[in-house]
Amino acid sequence: MTYAIEKRAITEWLQKLLETGEVIAPVRGPCGDVLFSTVRSPEQVMWDFQNTLPPPKQFVLPQTDPLIKIKRNGERHEIETTYDDTRRFLFNVRSCDAQGIAFLTRMHEMEPADVSYLRRAYNLTIITLACNTPCSLGFCVCTGSGPFLNDNYDVQLTDLGEGFLVEVGSEKGESAISGVPNLFREATEDQVLQRERLETEAKNQFGEQTCHFASAMRRISTGRVQDALWEKMSEWCLECGGCNLVCPTCYCFSVKDLGSDGSWTRCRMWDSCQYAAFTLEASGHNPRADRKQRMKRRFFHKASAQYYQRDCAVGCVGCGRCIKVCLGATNMPAVVGAIRKGKWDG
Amino acid sequence: MSACATTCPSCSCGCGLYLLTSNGQLTGVAPSESHPVSSGKLCARGWSAHEATLCGERLRWPLLRKNGKVEPVSWDEAYDQISKRLKELIEAGKSVGVLGSARATNEENYLAGKLARAGLHTNNVDFPYHSLCRPLFAGLEEVCGERIPTTSLDGIASSQAILLLEGNLAETHPRAASLVMRAVEKSAFLVTIGYRMTQMARLSSLHLATTPGNELEVIRGLLAAVLELRGLDRNWAAVHGEEYEALWRAVEKVERSNELRQAAEWMTRAERATFLLACNGGEGEQARKDAGAFATLAAVTGHLNRRGSGLLALVARSNVRGACDMGVTPERLPGYERLDDEQTRQRLEDLWNTKLPPDRGYSTEDLLQSVSGLIVLADDPPSVVPIGQRAMAAMEKVDLLVVLDAFVTPTVQKAHAVLPIASFAETEGTLTNMEGRIQRLRAAANSPGKAKAGWQVIGELCARFGAGHSYTSANDVLSEIGRAVPRYAGIAQRLSEDGWSTALLEDVEGAKFLIHAPGAAAVAESSCARWPYVLVRDGSFDWGRDPLVTCSPTLSRDYQSERKLFPNGFVEMCQRDADALSLSAGRRVRLRSVHGHAVVPIKVRRELKPGVLSVPYAFRDDLAGVLGRDSVTAVSVEPP
Repeated sequence: MTYAIEKRAITEWLQKLLETGEVIAPVRGPCGDVLFSTVRSPEQVMWDFQNTLPPPKQFVLPQTDPLIKIKRNGERHEIETTYDDTRRFLFNVRSCDAQGIAFLTRMHEMEPADVSYLRRAYNLTIITLACNTPCSLGFCVCTGSGPFLNDNYDVQLTDLGEGFLVEVGSEKGESAISGVPNLFREATEDQVLQRERLETEAKNQFGEQTCHFASAMRRISTGRVQDALWEKMSEWCLECGGCNLVCPTCYCFSVKDLGSDGSWTRCRMWDSCQYAAFTLEASGHNPRADRKQRMKRRFFHKASAQYYQRDCAVGCVGCGRCIKVCLGATNMPAVVGAIRKGKWDG
Repeated sequence: MSACATTCPSCSCGCGLYLLTSNGQLTGVAPSESHPVSSGKLCARGWSAHEATLCGERLRWPLLRKNGKVEPVSWDEAYDQISKRLKELIEAGKSVGVLGSARATNEENYLAGKLARAGLHTNNVDFPYHSLCRPLFAGLEEVCGERIPTTSLDGIASSQAILLLEGNLAETHPRAASLVMRAVEKSAFLVTIGYRMTQMARLSSLHLATTPGNELEVIRGLLAAVLELRGLDRNWAAVHGEEYEALWRAVEKVERSNELRQAAEWMTRAERATFLLACNGGEGEQARKDAGAFATLAAVTGHLNRRGSGLLALVARSNVRGACDMGVTPERLPGYERLDDEQTRQRLEDLWNTKLPPDRGYSTEDLLQSVSGLIVLADDPPSVVPIGQRAMAAMEKVDLLVVLDAFVTPTVQKAHAVLPIASFAETEGTLTNMEGRIQRLRAAANSPGKAKAGWQVIGELCARFGAGHSYTSANDVLSEIGRAVPRYAGIAQRLSEDGWSTALLEDVEGAKFLIHAPGAAAVAESSCARWPYVLVRDGSFDWGRDPLVTCSPTLSRDYQSERKLFPNGFVEMCQRDADALSLSAGRRVRLRSVHGHAVVPIKVRRELKPGVLSVPYAFRDDLAGVLGRDSVTAVSVEPP
């Protein structure tokens, strides 16, 4: 069902959402950066912003994610699973990030399903704000994850000037607008046409930043990327792990126990496959001791046909965050471009 | 979830980051696009900056050793006992001292210096990392005077030419390495000097390979090539006539290869150039000469006092500059002023309301050997100073060892009294990075147990020794620093604004330099028939024993694994040498030098040249028998 809401009515809607659950939205912090944070009042929510550098994936997959509580009880240990069942609304999230969360959810739904992740994800309502203007480094048009969405949202908002078009994509979406039905009117045909026009205009505004996955995929999947090229590219990596940590589709982790004195919390913590010790074995052997092997592995997971078939998508939503965060120069478009051309320009 | 804007405590780049917390507990880190140094980027250490505080073994209560056992006590009992025993030592005529730290804040360091000078009336005050960077600063000072010039880090990215005297920039200062990469992408010429084909060397336009300890010869060669080039420019020669003559005489006989001429041309012709000088902790005299010659090279190419150009000393830890500025050194007062500078002495005596001790104190290594009472602030000297085991042995003999730290370190385990302080994530304070940029630390979480902010604890110790002043916040201490150190005047106000309020110490654009003619290198250890290999102690800082790394599960994995696999260390050699000796990786060899011998396994490294063996700083003590007190020595390699 498609609705419309006037801009001045948004505050009331947000107020209702704040009463219903935790609302997370882009907020400008004191240092000028925009970050997804819990909001206390509708005025905090930003409407005009370039996407945040840290992705909102931390609200389904926190950087430190408590899974189990362990307690010593005499000779025995008591174990209790912890779940986060907080109802959350992720508001004004961008199309790429909604696709990222959908990707993560597909991964965690695979058998054996990850209940801890899924309970958090199923309690999260995703309200996106379609991108009328693409962001400067984004290339979502190459990954089919933006600037507008056709699926994987609960509610999609499109800024039509005076008001917003409100597309509802799920039951969770219906429920998010149901508390205040008088604020939403059925959208007119004109409004729907305007949204189509805006999507086309947005797609036409994409500039230089492109990422040709198809030809890179052919080479990666058939082992036709020369070792020397991986070696050359890996010289431009400083092993910060930033590409993994800000990637909306990366979910590598390691497990650590926090606490002491007979009481611990076993946590899943973000990790990076680009760190040398990520695959370090207890014997001291490391199957991917060289940086070039780790880089090869990363891009095989991101852009091989083998994974494409399993995941129904490349492991990239075109958000462009790795371009901003990379300490070196081995971001997604740069590496994909080099693989396609068989040559690194660095 | 909330985000607290603070400064990365690891290296001297001083990146900005957000510490994320949920219900008062640290959960992660987020980068900041608006930060002037990091611009949205972080290295692995930055990304895991929250882990040490969150996962590390923390000190929670004051501890006193009683009859050989360590017991938790109240703060009052701890303060009383410490001051009583220190006073007894002083009354008995024993010497006492204080060690500050390059990983402590300016406020903590300032108070550590004040405690030593105004409380304990001694200039026995230093910080362990100073034993690695002292000669480097001394060399720079000979050329630049006391205000060691810098350029801004972001200036690196817009340089047209970069000269990097390598340690291992990609490991020690990833953010600086990242900026070098930006420059190279924009077609800047990168020239590296070093005995190792490091990552930066592999990215360079030109790598000037040296044998370990011979860096000075390359720098002199570059100087000769630059002067040769400059000599053709009549105007330049006329203006700089005298200096030029003296310098030319000192280097004219040095051989100038085409490579040196090429590098000299790039560095001279560039409008903007950056000179990056690694702190490799080499022997004093040699490191001083290297630094002096390097600064001279920056001066004669015209880049030392030109906007957009400059020199950066790549000290490892976050607050090396701050510790120097706070006067946590036996020969310098706050403001890095000389001990005999009357004006400074008067200012401090008025401010602290006491007479300052007149004589120079001991520097870290001698201090450890000489004092009976020692206060160590947030540091573990054995993991930092060149001969770690000697420092450890000395600390074991101290009558009273008081340690303030947030984390459990080997030094903490030897202490008679332990005072738990907040970690960087739990305290307010400031750090001064390699550029001279002063930035705030902000508390994102509460400290555990009874731990208190470091400035509070040292402030209380000061009070117990009559150097008291009631500070209610770290900002109070910063305001007092503004009165003790003229360059820090007004910083407290400048940093009070919201956001990334950072303050850069004043620029030295247009300053005058003293061009020293660098003497020839003392003949470096070179191989001969009897000792055909050169063994070098790799001076790149050992992050693997810094609590920010050891207490972080993600960061400590590599180091722990290496320690487990090689409990008695290893030496690195190139494949060709290993083949020539019919050795495979992991096999043991006996190294022999004039100092002695040791049996160690080998690791094969493609970065090394034939004839060069290298021992990582982490394993230097395992090879102390072969290295002696040298950082480079000639050795023979035999079957075990």
